[in-house]
Amino acid sequence: MYEFLGQNQLYIVLFVILIIWIGIVLYLIRLDKKIGRLEKQLGKD
Amino acid sequence: MNSIKWLSIILITFVIIAGIAVPMVPQPQSFFEFPDIPGLGNTARIIFFHVPVAWVSVLGFLVSLYYGLKYLRTKEYDDDIKSVSAAGLGMLFCLLATMTGSLWAKFTWGSFWNWDPRETSILILLLIYGAYFALRSALGSNEVRARLSAVYAILAGLTAPFFIFIMPRIIGGLHPGAKEDASGSTPITQLHMPLNMLFVFFSGLIGFTLLFIWLLNVRIRTLRMEHRLLMKDY
Repeated sequence: MYEFLGQNQLYIVLFVILIIWIGIVLYLIRLDKKIGRLEKQLGKD
Repeated sequence: MNSIKWLSIILITFVIIAGIAVPMVPQPQSFFEFPDIPGLGNTARIIFFHVPVAWVSVLGFLVSLYYGLKYLRTKEYDDDIKSVSAAGLGMLFCLLATMTGSLWAKFTWGSFWNWDPRETSILILLLIYGAYFALRSALGSNEVRARLSAVYAILAGLTAPFFIFIMPRIIGGLHPGAKEDASGSTPITQLHMPLNMLFVFFSGLIGFTLLFIWLLNVRIRTLRMEHRLLMKDY
């Protein structure tokens, strides 16, 4: 296990950063859509 | 706007994958190998994130200055919203640049903070914009707040290029681009990178700039809605 972690440090870093980045992007996309919906609702009133 | 979003996602994902996974070897033979820079090693990869983030921070401050000027001319509340949104993002990215720079400093210069001219100047910049938000939160009325913070955004925006581009270059320091730096590199672009590194580097610059536009758009729309709701109550 430690040997595996030691030999693949770079790819582990890559993997962790990719997961965080994907999480942030998905959150941002959802937030953007939600704001779009709210704008539509406000526009109606 | 949609193409900006997708392009930024694609470019930054590409930079993360290529910037981290491409191996660094002493004598690169193929396009998929980066040169190993003596003394830096794998920490050199931070450049693909640190520089674009610092660039976006300057961009945010300059956009804030532009809309500050525009507000003083037009007195449109929308310009104040744009100005403060850009300053907020500039501040966020400035913090990120400080953090990535500090991490990099730990592994190449030996400590997280050495009061290098560049570290000092970015700290002053953070304080200047910290004061901007303190000023805004201290003022209640929309119109007074907008006018005063527009003036402050212009003054602060004028100092930003000085702290980022000029001061660290006239004083000797450890950061690339300092006065005695023999390599002749500049803090903005290290153009003696090989072609494949340059490609990843500029993808990062463009990707983060597009991400900035996206984030700015989301922030502006939110503040506009808030403004409309507040106007309704009166």
